Amino acid sequence: MGLSPEKHRHRSIRPGLGTLALVAMAVALALGLVVAPAEAIQGQAQRLMYVHVPAAWTAFAAFALVLVASVAVLMRRHPRWDARAQAAAELGVGMTALAIVEGSLWGHTAWGVWWTWDARLVTTAVLLLLYLGYLGVRGLPGDRVHVSRRAAVVGVVGFVQVPVVHFSVLWWRTLHQPPTLLQPTASPPISPLMLTALLAAVVAFMLGGAWFLRRRVAQLVPVEPSPSADHADTGPVPVVVTRGAS
Amino acid sequence: MNQATSKVVDSGPMDVEGTGTGRSAKPDGPRFWQQVVLLVRRDLAVEAATREASATVPPLILAGLLLAGLGFELPPESLAVLAPGLVWLLVLTAAVPLARSLLAAERDDDAWDLLRALTSPSALLAGKATTLCLLLWLAWGFGGVLALALLEAQWSVAAVLAAAVAMPGVAVNVTVYGVLMAEQRRPALLTTLVLTAGLPALVAGSQVAATEQTGPWFVLLGVYDLVAIVTAWAVFPTLLDT
Repeated sequence: MGLSPEKHRHRSIRPGLGTLALVAMAVALALGLVVAPAEAIQGQAQRLMYVHVPAAWTAFAAFALVLVASVAVLMRRHPRWDARAQAAAELGVGMTALAIVEGSLWGHTAWGVWWTWDARLVTTAVLLLLYLGYLGVRGLPGDRVHVSRRAAVVGVVGFVQVPVVHFSVLWWRTLHQPPTLLQPTASPPISPLMLTALLAAVVAFMLGGAWFLRRRVAQLVPVEPSPSADHADTGPVPVVVTRGAS
Repeated sequence: MNQATSKVVDSGPMDVEGTGTGRSAKPDGPRFWQQVVLLVRRDLAVEAATREASATVPPLILAGLLLAGLGFELPPESLAVLAPGLVWLLVLTAAVPLARSLLAAERDDDAWDLLRALTSPSALLAGKATTLCLLLWLAWGFGGVLALALLEAQWSVAAVLAAAVAMPGVAVNVTVYGVLMAEQRRPALLTTLVLTAGLPALVAGSQVAATEQTGPWFVLLGVYDLVAIVTAWAVFPTLLDT
């Protein structure tokens, strides 16, 4: 007896990616919690950066994937791209929420408040709302193809907010610090050990995100009946009446 | 079918191919602009006949300003600082009912499919967005005058120019979302989409009124307009097919 398409698809997911993500997480944890020194002023609270920054970067990458997949849905109309767009949006929303929560925890120790009306915080929260709206559009009732194309429109139009979030710390005078790594200087103002721990965490989050995307896409893509299943299913044949062109 | 709608639907020039078969018209040369002008005139005629926006938007903005002044309990000088952002927020909020009524006349008259068949997607987008842009400019102007009178707002020429520059991008985004959600009964979802889409206009419009270095904010508004128009132009035909 062969595997059902659902089981076959889950088996086809490469186990190596999950393992790799787990190993990377373990390495990142060791580097972030043990190897990297505590920051001179902020102390241990600075270690939250090893989750906050990778979560934010993974969210940006996920939203970029939503854009790419949405364009592909509009151009190629393949359900797999639609599934990728949804999975990426879910990942992005989760990572954005994590980045906000982590930032809030850090903010409470560094600034003394859980929330402040800072441009980066507000634009990030708006970004979260936007992609929650995107997922809301995906949940609208109606024909699946139409809903996926409507969601793709939101995925394309909504991406304009992502650069606004990134550049918000440069455009406004904000409490949130400007980019440490993504700035045009020869050497970023961060200790090499901290930089190593941060980059390891970024790699771990990206791998974990990729693993999530694979699993979720596999769940979301509709099962295509195999040829043998077509023969086995001998249900009533629909009668299709085509109207002649006028 | 109401008089304003029937007048335009029955008019010949929309079918620029002259075939009468309902083929989509091509958006090239003056024909595209003819369609846009006809659509704008038609929508303004519908508005004049129904007074839907003019009866709902001014009270909404007035209520927002009055309640903000009362509820925030701030001294007048603080309210004056708050006013530009508040006006922008109220205009974006007013864009939500405008988005919901974007296709209301066509739906009521069952003329949406006919309009789609006779008009090119680009002209339809441009026509609807232009009407919406005019209404949003009026809404901003009304809110600006009210803020001047009630909150002692200090409007600079740059702030007025920022509203002029920002509104096309807002109108195009609201048009896309209005068409996208036309058949859905999810007003809160539409509100979320419209308010978040207007974020660059809100922040840049408010900052232009509050700072002296306005150049970068105008650049942001220009880029916002450009991106909004290009993306809407690219996705609108697909949206009309769904």
